[in-house]
Amino acid sequence: MLEVAGLSTRYGAITALRDADLSVAAGEVVALIGPNGAGKTTLLNTISGLLRPVAGCVTVDGADLTRAAPDRMLRAGVALVPEHRRIFRDLTVEENLLLGGVLIRAAERRRRVKELEARFEVLARKRTVPAGFLSGGEAQQLAIARALMSDPKLVLMDEPSLGLAPVLVDVVMQLIADLRASGRTILVVEQNAAKVLEVADRAYVMRTGEVVEEAPAHELATRTDLFAAYLGV
Amino acid sequence: MTELVQQLVDGLGRGGTYALLALGLAVVFGVLHLLNFAHGELITISAYVVYWLSSYDVPWWALAPVCVAVGAVASMGMEVVAFRWVRNASPFTLLVTSFGVAIVIQGFFQIAVSPKARKYDKPSWVFDTWEIGGVRLEVADLLTIAVTVVVLLGVVLVMQRTMFGIALRGAATDFDATRLMGLRANRAISGAFGLSGALAGVAAALILMRRGDASPTMGTDYMLKAVVAAIIGGLGSLPGAVVGGLVLGLAEVAFRSWLPDGIAGLTDGFVFAFVAVLLVVRPNGLFNVRSAERV
Amino acid sequence: MSRVARPLAGGVGIAAAVLLAGQLYLAAGGNDSLLRAALVNVVIVMGLQTFIGTTGVLSLGHIGFAAIAGYTTFLLGASEQAKSVSLSDAPWGIADLSIPAWAATLAGMVVAALVALVLAAALARAPAITATMITVSFLFVVHAVGTNWVELTGGSSGLTDPGLRLDSRWWLYVGVVLAVVAARLFKASRPGRLAIASSEDELATAAMGISVAWTRAVALVVSAAIVGFGAGLKVQSLGSVNVKEYYFGFTLLTLSMLVIGGKRSVTGAAAGVVIVTAVTELALELAGENERLGGLPDLVLGVAVIVIMVARPKGLFGDWELDDALPRSRRAPAPPPAPPVATTEAVLTADDIAVIFGDFKALLEVGLTARGGEVVGLIGPNGAGKTTLVNVITGLVTPTEGRVDLDGRELTGRPPHEVARAGLARTFQNLRVFPELSVRENVDIAVLSARRHRSSRPAPDVDALLALAGLHDRQDQRAGALDYGSQRRLELVRAAALRPTFLLLDEPTSGMSDAESAVMIDHVRATARSVGAGVVVIDHDLHFITTICDRIYVLDQGEVIAAGSPAEVRSDPRVVAAYLGTASSTAPKAPPPDAQVSSRS
Repeated sequence: MLEVAGLSTRYGAITALRDADLSVAAGEVVALIGPNGAGKTTLLNTISGLLRPVAGCVTVDGADLTRAAPDRMLRAGVALVPEHRRIFRDLTVEENLLLGGVLIRAAERRRRVKELEARFEVLARKRTVPAGFLSGGEAQQLAIARALMSDPKLVLMDEPSLGLAPVLVDVVMQLIADLRASGRTILVVEQNAAKVLEVADRAYVMRTGEVVEEAPAHELATRTDLFAAYLGV
Repeated sequence: MTELVQQLVDGLGRGGTYALLALGLAVVFGVLHLLNFAHGELITISAYVVYWLSSYDVPWWALAPVCVAVGAVASMGMEVVAFRWVRNASPFTLLVTSFGVAIVIQGFFQIAVSPKARKYDKPSWVFDTWEIGGVRLEVADLLTIAVTVVVLLGVVLVMQRTMFGIALRGAATDFDATRLMGLRANRAISGAFGLSGALAGVAAALILMRRGDASPTMGTDYMLKAVVAAIIGGLGSLPGAVVGGLVLGLAEVAFRSWLPDGIAGLTDGFVFAFVAVLLVVRPNGLFNVRSAERV
Repeated sequence: MSRVARPLAGGVGIAAAVLLAGQLYLAAGGNDSLLRAALVNVVIVMGLQTFIGTTGVLSLGHIGFAAIAGYTTFLLGASEQAKSVSLSDAPWGIADLSIPAWAATLAGMVVAALVALVLAAALARAPAITATMITVSFLFVVHAVGTNWVELTGGSSGLTDPGLRLDSRWWLYVGVVLAVVAARLFKASRPGRLAIASSEDELATAAMGISVAWTRAVALVVSAAIVGFGAGLKVQSLGSVNVKEYYFGFTLLTLSMLVIGGKRSVTGAAAGVVIVTAVTELALELAGENERLGGLPDLVLGVAVIVIMVARPKGLFGDWELDDALPRSRRAPAPPPAPPVATTEAVLTADDIAVIFGDFKALLEVGLTARGGEVVGLIGPNGAGKTTLVNVITGLVTPTEGRVDLDGRELTGRPPHEVARAGLARTFQNLRVFPELSVRENVDIAVLSARRHRSSRPAPDVDALLALAGLHDRQDQRAGALDYGSQRRLELVRAAALRPTFLLLDEPTSGMSDAESAVMIDHVRATARSVGAGVVVIDHDLHFITTICDRIYVLDQGEVIAAGSPAEVRSDPRVVAAYLGTASSTAPKAPPPDAQVSSRS
């Protein structure tokens, strides 16, 4: 479904992403792991259209979307749950969801909001609460629900477990599994390699801007030297 | 007691106008971090349109919506012609650009019409007074307050209930996240300028019905008041802008009545001195709006 | 002493060019009063440049200083008979006072400078836009007072004394030379250079031990004096003073002259006056007698300002000064590495630090000790609080609880520039060099600061430090044009030039490739040894950290979860878990049947 070839992105004076190759098949959960500063976020931001690459290409179901702006990516069925969630803190939970569906017709949008509130019980309870008052775990659910407003077939997630207590991380991982069960494809960036490898099918490892390894998740999970290998220790 | 009520109404009337102008400034600032010093020129533009149309005997109930439309269009025009090209520039550059726009508009009207003020007919009822509860109040004041309240309520409704408003508020909170939702930057920004201009248009109608003339440099004073009001509340805070406007209007009236007759002309001076002191004590405005900077 | 000679020559050259332009204008049949006005404007714009061009703060109040100085000059300098006409009711016996014009001008400058001192205090804590608004309020208040205090100022009719009018233009010529030279010298002076650094990056400047508020105050006072001087000349070239001429119109005109020419450049500012004067004159000529077309200069000026802001926001001349054309003395070749300075004996401790924002605990019970001669690492997953801890130590954040101590001296809650002066120099996660300044100028800012505030420590050889970083042969290049690795190393050299006892480095290898990180390892070690400082370094590159550090603290979710030698930390299961997470207790799931099993070739 998603093909990334030779993607490079500059960020100011830094080449944050160097010649990255990656592919995700429909229905898969693919993890992208690696230490901080490896370029994982840059990769997702480039795919979703927030950043422009200097080289390479991004294809979704055969369509070249390399330099597509975010709205084209959303219409192509690709949604990003950004790093640090980036929910609209001054807007209520429901307004966050509505804004996630800004490209959708009003009636359909309202329907999806109701659906998502039913699916995510805590969001229904806190519909009118400003998003800035949500706890970390609730905010993560809101960020994911917001991305689901566009009914994406491919969901990009950037460090969903960031700042969450272990039990909440499990909730997020379960969400990912549920999303896959409902037919969506997921590409998830994570620092918490152990947890994400439990739910993923395959994983890529990134370091200093490059993709350095790729293997089935269960294989990587059993690698005791993983810490040494990818953190370069 | 009657005098107090009259002054209160007077203050709220002025304050309402300033609140509308300040709100327009705050809307644009929230989205672009631009403090538009050319905002006052929207009043000038409306004034000349009123001057032109009144020579065709267009009645005032029609002129008012025209002002609103002119304000919105002129404001969006400013963005397309000037501000779009400096969108990601430094705050300094943005400010100076807005000055450039203001100077251009002033020069334009001097050439197109006249450096001298041009008069037009004010509505006949503008200086009528009504007696309410034993107090004589100016109709114009009451109308201003009523219109301001209605418009502000309308703005609240738009900001809270429409996708347009939600999108604007989202853009003010996190512009890039709003882009991620698929909203095109240009549309959000044009929308902000349009709303801002419409608000200025309402303020213009209220101001112009009392003023009676149009001159190229008339915008400067209104711009100053609007900017000061927006800053008092804390730039970027919409309710802050409204409060700032009301505070400014009331302060003006308070200082005018409190100052002994001889130096009543210094009212504006005192008001600005008061504002300066306020800004020193609360550099981020009454509502303490601060933007974080990543280290 | 080419430190002074070059800018001095530059200033004289600029002034000469301006005066030459004036002479050419006269020879071509120009108008005397226009020339006088232009010369006065040069002086005033030099005043604007001295503040706006250095600090980068947009002041709209300088014409307020001009008004105050102008009226002071008039009130003290006008003849008694001129005063008897309109100032008979003036307070303080002004009507009976008359001093020589030069003294009156000087008095005007002094009064303006004193008012500037007060205004500077008001601006000390104000962020950029608020500062501009305070200056607007100031202009407004001056205008309001000027218009209304009729006994003193003649109100909107102003005051006139033909006797005050200068016959010859010579004083204007002298004034231009003095003002231009003063502006050029100020820019090259210590306060001027520090002001420019603060306009490049306020945080980094404070981290170099410089009080930005103080720097701005100095610039404001100097600029007010120059503007005041210009106002005195204006009063004497017109023989009158009127508050209406010292309001928004004049403010925008002089501001336009400054930004069109280039606010950072004295040459540009002077050129801006000439260009704008010429263009507006031409526009007026085109307008002819037509009163309406009198708006043409405004229209043209406004368009010019917009075009410059869009196409060339730094102004026509950018950063360039006339004296840049003078031949540069060749730089001495890089010296051999200097003998390392004795390692500091100081001890840096952070004790029981807590930083709590509402519900969110950024740091809890965090402690750290660092000594001279060792490198202490600070690692942990994203969001662990590492930068927050460094921010607490360096004064950017005041902790909710806890204490930061340097050799017994408490640093908790002191502002960043004081912490830097105490001996803690830092680099930033987001790289904060001064991009428009050259490599050398970047480091010189630290040198200037250290000379005054760190004089008890031995001064490092800056050339040797630059050579160590591989930057010596590029020291005149713009810092912003360097490659990323070089900029990072520059930031470190600059910090080292502060003569610190401790260097705190926030992710110095962020964004670097493995090769660049390796270079950085050597550079950090060598630099620290060179200046005898201890090092605290945050980084995610564990190879970098374990190679360079003697001891490591591991933070996770705001708490210290491990501390010890690299070997100890590396094998600590809690650290591994913090980075990689812990697997659930259930066995890892079997791969789904349709999963692709491919490996990257």
